Amino acid sequence: MNGHDNDVSRRILKLAAESEYCLDLYCWTPCIYKKNVILNQLRYKLREIAYLSNFVCLKASPVQGCFAEDPDQNEKVFTPEDLAKFNGLDGNPAYVAVNGMVYDVTNNAAWAAASHFGLQAGKDLTNEFASCHAGQPILSKLKAVGKLVR
Amino acid sequence: MNAKNTCPEYAARLRTASDLINKVNYEIKRGSLARKKLVWLELTGCSGNIISLLDGSNPGFKYLVSMMCDLIFSNSLMASEGEAAMERLFGIPDNEFILAVEGAVSTRNNGLYNVIGRFRGEPVTALKAIRILGERASHVIAVGACASHGGTSAAKPNPARCVGIQSLLKRRVIKLPGCPCHPDWFLGTLAHILLYGEPELDDRDRPLLFYSTLIHDRCPRRSFFDQGIFAKKLGESTCMFKLGCRGPVTRIDCPIRKWNQYVNWPIGDDTPCIGCAQFGFPDQMEPFITYNTTRGVRK
Repeated sequence: MNGHDNDVSRRILKLAAESEYCLDLYCWTPCIYKKNVILNQLRYKLREIAYLSNFVCLKASPVQGCFAEDPDQNEKVFTPEDLAKFNGLDGNPAYVAVNGMVYDVTNNAAWAAASHFGLQAGKDLTNEFASCHAGQPILSKLKAVGKLVR
Repeated sequence: MNAKNTCPEYAARLRTASDLINKVNYEIKRGSLARKKLVWLELTGCSGNIISLLDGSNPGFKYLVSMMCDLIFSNSLMASEGEAAMERLFGIPDNEFILAVEGAVSTRNNGLYNVIGRFRGEPVTALKAIRILGERASHVIAVGACASHGGTSAAKPNPARCVGIQSLLKRRVIKLPGCPCHPDWFLGTLAHILLYGEPELDDRDRPLLFYSTLIHDRCPRRSFFDQGIFAKKLGESTCMFKLGCRGPVTRIDCPIRKWNQYVNWPIGDDTPCIGCAQFGFPDQMEPFITYNTTRGVRK
């Protein structure tokens, strides 16, 4: 381990100690807003710890990240049968199709438990979307993952 | 939320109903405001909203009936019964009363699935009562999910063909969806009507005083959602999005106002919001809880 690695280790230990302090502070603070601030601080510290750990791990074993972007993702083609598998159940992602495009709603707030006002993911919801959200800038905020073909 | 340590905006929001009611009290004592007649009509429902109203504390129900309004009719609470009660209900002059309705309206077989009393020998169905009184009242308030949009009474398969009261009236109905309606939502709306007339409503006729903001936007667990830290089972104190929480689609102030005299609310007790204050409840808010979801996404 060289001097640089020592610096990284010290920084990680310091962040861990600061996180402990934040946790104590969180427990003792009655104000919900201060709690949210503390949670944000914890989040930043965890991010830094993750970044530094990743840096150390990558040096030891340079592997590709698990969540590498697929440049051809938008070119993926789904049949209705393919789409039906992405219904958000059994650990699968939640995809829906609107106007021929397939969108990922797995972590979209309005799609808790992969359902939205009685609609389940894994389906072509073009008509339902048009009846409720016509003219609203919703689709542009969703991640497109491919095209639906019949 | 501890009121002494809370954000001033939240503290002010918590006082919206009581501030309005105190103003009503002040104006009535000064003689510049007259008490108005109130009719509380229970139709096809569970009477949960009147029970919820009785649980109100700021002010209590006693204050409502003694200081703010003259309660003409409430089949659960009034002393009169039978024909005398119906005389009191239908003898009320036009445009001189506020009509609060809880429960949906059963429309099947011309409303015969719900008869609320008999008047001059004839059965009075919920359908008939709302058609007559709904057009005669100065203001109509739909209290709770069933009156607002059908709610649980209209849930599938809806054998009695229940509907919300708006679909039977050709006038604006102020809607206070919720299962049940919080006492403050009703009392605050009523106080606003007495003082200033109809409160500002959104495009679905809900008072913006209470229904302006999504639960999700004020949720104390919002930071967990933003960071993707999700509860895997009930009892965990992180975001319950993956369990089916409907806070992100439900506009109401539960995170501030809470329930049972401002003590707690579902998310504060590790239970997901089931969207009871959103249109479409309960059918469109299901599943209320699920463990078979996108948790642990596979690539």
